[in-house]
Amino acid sequence: MKNLLDFLIKYNHWFLFILLEVISFALLFRFNNYQGSVFFTSSNSFVGVVYDLKNSITSYFHLKDINNDLVQENVELKLQLEAYKNSLTSLSKDTVDFERIRQESLSEYDILEARVLNNSLIHADNYITINKGEKDGVHSEMGVVDGKGVVGIVYLTSSNYSVVIPILNSKSNISCKIKRSDYLGFLVWDGGSSQYAMVKDMPRHSMFSLGDTIVTSGHSAVFPSGIPIGTIEDMKDSNDGLSYQLKVKLFTDFACLQDVRVVSRRNKDEQIQLEERIKSRE
Amino acid sequence: MKNVLTQLKWFIGLALLQALILNQMHIGGYATPFPYIYFILKFHSRASRNELLLWAFFMGLIMDMFSDTVGMNAASLTCLAFFRTPILQMITFRDLDEDFEPCVKMVGLAPFFRYVLLSSLLFCILYVTLDTFSFFNWPVLIFRVLTSTLTTLFCIMGFEYMWRKKV
Repeated sequence: MKNLLDFLIKYNHWFLFILLEVISFALLFRFNNYQGSVFFTSSNSFVGVVYDLKNSITSYFHLKDINNDLVQENVELKLQLEAYKNSLTSLSKDTVDFERIRQESLSEYDILEARVLNNSLIHADNYITINKGEKDGVHSEMGVVDGKGVVGIVYLTSSNYSVVIPILNSKSNISCKIKRSDYLGFLVWDGGSSQYAMVKDMPRHSMFSLGDTIVTSGHSAVFPSGIPIGTIEDMKDSNDGLSYQLKVKLFTDFACLQDVRVVSRRNKDEQIQLEERIKSRE
Repeated sequence: MKNVLTQLKWFIGLALLQALILNQMHIGGYATPFPYIYFILKFHSRASRNELLLWAFFMGLIMDMFSDTVGMNAASLTCLAFFRTPILQMITFRDLDEDFEPCVKMVGLAPFFRYVLLSSLLFCILYVTLDTFSFFNWPVLIFRVLTSTLTTLFCIMGFEYMWRKKV
């Protein structure tokens, strides 16, 4: 003890010096922003290293509890996953079917690009000339559509050109149906505006409302099912009162027709022959 | 400086001179003279180191208050005060049992010059390093130290000449 005191007394100026320097540095770091921040950041990194080391040792002591919690969480998550998988399968079943059906329906048809060369709107019987003919695989009784809807049916072909009977022709007669309720009818044109056509022979008991979409029925060999034609704008009784007549606003704008597609069904010859045989028997 | 009154006079005088005039000087943007350390250098050789330390700390603190650099002057001057006695011993080769006041007349011009140079250098190194607090631009740092040391030396030698004891 005495030695310690002697030591302290002998070197008292050291202690005073250290004390005063510590006070000065404390003031320096406290009241000067830059020095304080340098001190703070470097002390932080040093303290960080020390805490890191401590954590790497003490974390081993908690491993058992952490393990337990993880097992519990795992079980819960697996159960949730099963539930989600099941509900996803049941929900996505329909959309997968639709996709399959869509692809199957497209596989039956060949689609040819064509350009309109000649067009008319004002006559009672209008015709459209397109730039594809026999050489390109176009035959009569093939359907012609454009991006918006049905255009018509091929009537005559030469080697390079074809003539199409559009909807705007008194000879045009396209099998169609109401998209929503599948009730069948025939689309005809009775002159008048190039924007409207009539659906005749719509049964009286059919369910429809104004604004419903009319699409191709797919029953003839010409058009695939579901190609849009127009929307119902008005309805009235037929002349004999046994059915309805629907005024349809056409989707296709015949006034600005440029690019069209010729649709040909691959197995239609077989269907046509079968139908002819029935008719000839009658 | 033998009595407290003289010490106080020097304390106040040097403090005011430094704070009001010399702290505003930045020659070339680098050099600032610090002749107020003359107060510490002027203490007689047998002054207690504790006393020296305490005077230095308070002088430094006062200067910090004036120059808004809390802690820098205090730390640097305290350190200088701590090393003053060894420096004096080393330079003057005189026995410290003799109580003398460091001045040209007592120790000779060359030793006194060395004494002031070494002390100023120590102080300026400490002060400028604490002020900059980074070694990013160390050539500028060294230049500042050297120029401040030279200006401080110049001022102190000037004071010494002005207040030299007349035999």
